[in-house]
Amino acid sequence: MNKTNSIIEKVLKTPVTDHVVVCYGKNETHNIRFSNNSVNRENLFKLEEEVKVEVGYDGRTGSYRTNDLSEDGVKHAIKKAYEAAKLLPKDPEYMPPVTKAEAAKIKSFEPVIGKLSDAGKYAILRDAFGELKKAGLNSAGSLSTNPYTTAVYNNKGVRVSHSNCFSALTLTAMTENSSFRDSYISKDFSGYDGEAFISGIIGNARLSKNPASLEAGKYTVVLGPSAVEELLMMFLWYNMDAKAIDEGRSAFSKRPGERIANEAIHIYSKPDHKKAGLWPFAPDDAMPYIGFDMIKNGRLARPWHSRFYAQKKGVKATGRAPANVIFKGTDKSIGKLISNVENGLYVNSFWYIRLVDLMDGIFTGMTRDGVFRIKDGKITGSVNNFRFNQSVFDMLKNTAAIGKEKAMFYTSIPPITVKNFNFVSKTEF
Amino acid sequence: MDNLREIVKYLAKKKVRFADAREHLFREREINTEDARVEQITEQNISGVGIKVLYENGWGYASTSGTEPASLRKAADRALALARNADRSATGTVELAEEPRHTAKFATKIKEDPFEVDISDAVGVLLRAGETILKGKDVIKANSRLVFRNMKKKYANTEGSVIETDVFTVLPEIEATARANGEVKSRHYWPAPMNAGYEYFRGLDFMTNAERIAAESREHCFARPCKTGPTALILDPEHLSLTMHESVGHPTELDRVLGYEESCAGRSFATMDKLNNFKYGSGLVNFIADNTLEGGLATCGYDDEGVECQKWHMIKDGILTGYGVNRELAYKMKMKRANGTTRATKYCDVPITRIPNLYLAPGKKSLSVEQLIADTEDGIYIEGMGSFSIDQMRLNMQFGGDAFWEIKKGKRTGMLKNVVYNAISYEFWRSCDAIADERYFKRSGFITCGKGDPMQLAQMTHGASPARFRNIMVRRAK
Repeated sequence: MNKTNSIIEKVLKTPVTDHVVVCYGKNETHNIRFSNNSVNRENLFKLEEEVKVEVGYDGRTGSYRTNDLSEDGVKHAIKKAYEAAKLLPKDPEYMPPVTKAEAAKIKSFEPVIGKLSDAGKYAILRDAFGELKKAGLNSAGSLSTNPYTTAVYNNKGVRVSHSNCFSALTLTAMTENSSFRDSYISKDFSGYDGEAFISGIIGNARLSKNPASLEAGKYTVVLGPSAVEELLMMFLWYNMDAKAIDEGRSAFSKRPGERIANEAIHIYSKPDHKKAGLWPFAPDDAMPYIGFDMIKNGRLARPWHSRFYAQKKGVKATGRAPANVIFKGTDKSIGKLISNVENGLYVNSFWYIRLVDLMDGIFTGMTRDGVFRIKDGKITGSVNNFRFNQSVFDMLKNTAAIGKEKAMFYTSIPPITVKNFNFVSKTEF
Repeated sequence: MDNLREIVKYLAKKKVRFADAREHLFREREINTEDARVEQITEQNISGVGIKVLYENGWGYASTSGTEPASLRKAADRALALARNADRSATGTVELAEEPRHTAKFATKIKEDPFEVDISDAVGVLLRAGETILKGKDVIKANSRLVFRNMKKKYANTEGSVIETDVFTVLPEIEATARANGEVKSRHYWPAPMNAGYEYFRGLDFMTNAERIAAESREHCFARPCKTGPTALILDPEHLSLTMHESVGHPTELDRVLGYEESCAGRSFATMDKLNNFKYGSGLVNFIADNTLEGGLATCGYDDEGVECQKWHMIKDGILTGYGVNRELAYKMKMKRANGTTRATKYCDVPITRIPNLYLAPGKKSLSVEQLIADTEDGIYIEGMGSFSIDQMRLNMQFGGDAFWEIKKGKRTGMLKNVVYNAISYEFWRSCDAIADERYFKRSGFITCGKGDPMQLAQMTHGASPARFRNIMVRRAK
């Protein structure tokens, strides 16, 4: 980084135009993938260190990405971006580089870098495989540690840099006819309790065995945090762009000011959230991420604004997507939510969610890795998987209870209870 | 190439059972336009060397962006250390199916290198297409995407293979979005992505298709909703490309079948006990895997474990007859040889089993699309790709489309909207009762097929002639 920093600083002393931005990224991934209770061929270490250069010229912008971080390599990237910019027509949405006044004010960060040794990582897995084998279960998943650094430099004097680390153990335990999946997500495994994590998965995998046949239909469901995250993030991604809303290309376009959710639902972004991913600035321009409400009091509070569109509308930019998404939880456990359901289902996670109808916010997808029957407030066994075709507006309106948040990579999301969740077909493996 | 040969020799001295080194340059230029402006133009040039090691029964993979001996040595040592760690947790043995030693070169046949053509030429074409789209009544948005890709690879392994490949890819698409009658609907023109040079892009007719999709996006807004219930579907080649990708391509990747992908992309119902006896489709259904197909997106001469690209039947006369297989699993399957479909996206990615170029063979009897429609009393004709979803065993699938027309008494009548169909994959292929002949065969394909952990994106061609499927459950997507 020090050498690359010096090169970038040197190159920026003689900028080719008044608009040169250099975004630096370093990602160090150690990923151990496993299947059938054994490490498989995706047992890898990779160090990706790259710069993305953006050059503006008379209202046009070109960019170039390279992992040649020599002085010649960075200069070449600038030259190519400049040449591309010169060939383009003027962009009516051109934005100059971020100024020092606009850029994120980085005070101090304490990067938590994965300190777990390679041997320690494989030991975690060997212990897990041992317990799973004893329980008569098969497994698949991955253990990864990902320290990273991101930095933005420009010729307006902006210099911001941030380092952090994400680590995760994701494990699917399988019986001969069912599966259950869970993830342990943290900075560096420092709080990992292998015994609790693995025993939880083993218990749920055993519970998932021999799923009963159940017909599709409308059910009261308790959706686990992963299931809520998967569906909610897809919905937000398609619909929250302010420009798309104004141009009539979002499901929110035809619902101005309407009540779209249960009033208890509060979805917001908080860049300095203690558990979800910490992102102080946008990695492509150094604009600070801001905290803001997205859905509050049952209504759209504010959508996402790019830098260009925020300037046009006279509001603060949120970024094309926010730093993170927080769905405000309560202190109720998943068990508490389940105990309040007389007749319904618990869905651990979804899979392959896709848009079906944009303007009505309808998505399809499958349940996966854990669907359980709830009767009289208790889980009575597992059932087959289902396909859903579900309006997210209906899901948010029909949310009857909200549980305790679980922090994931870029989100903190609670389990929720939803009435009349629409399953349209079933699958039996 | 000498640096690669040297590093695998170094590893051979460390008593590894197998090692290979792959120098991999990934170049990509992507242009995105929105209405009459260039939304973004990005170019990337990412290169490095990936080294794979098999030590006893453990695999390790490490990569470096440097190509000089010290960087390669460091990566090789890291890969070896990872492999030793993996071996300590190994529960089975790893053997590799034999592959002849190759000294070979392969290159896509191109006339014009897309990276040497002035970028303003392509930008001009896309912006003119956008202007044409925006002239359409009630059209509110025009988008386009154009990708040029080049992958240059050098490969050496401890068995003595030395291979160089140079592959060029072109992917163009344009999209019109209309708002009318309380609806917002899009329509696309997706020429087949091809391994080709710039000349392929030059030969495409964007303006005529821009006018057509602008008009059809508006027509779609005024379409009638479909009825829920079973009906006949006639599916065009572009649409079928996505259907076959999800319900035949992925289920026949043997690594999925054997549980290696369980944690991410999922498994497959097409288990090995079904090989050569499972009725996957009707007797008309023949799926050919062909990584030697000229211009095919997966056509690269040799894959990323040094195996020659091949052609085989995945499904023959409706029966499951093959899989996509790497060397390790080919040995487990008692196959003489892997079939050359193991690929990585970039230098830092581990090569994994990917869907090959895969197509539905055209019908053997003379049959036009017009005859196919005329022979259908009630049904829906679907063009292009829309919503798509399938479960992790590749059984329960639901597809939409880009445009839908009602078929009544043998005629294509008005447009329909909000159509999705739902089926169990093998039941769907078993319901195929007619396939148009080879005159109507068209290619399509993908460059963003996601698989692996960490996720990688791969490219492959698909193709078909229009085909009919009986008694498929259609729902109104509302």
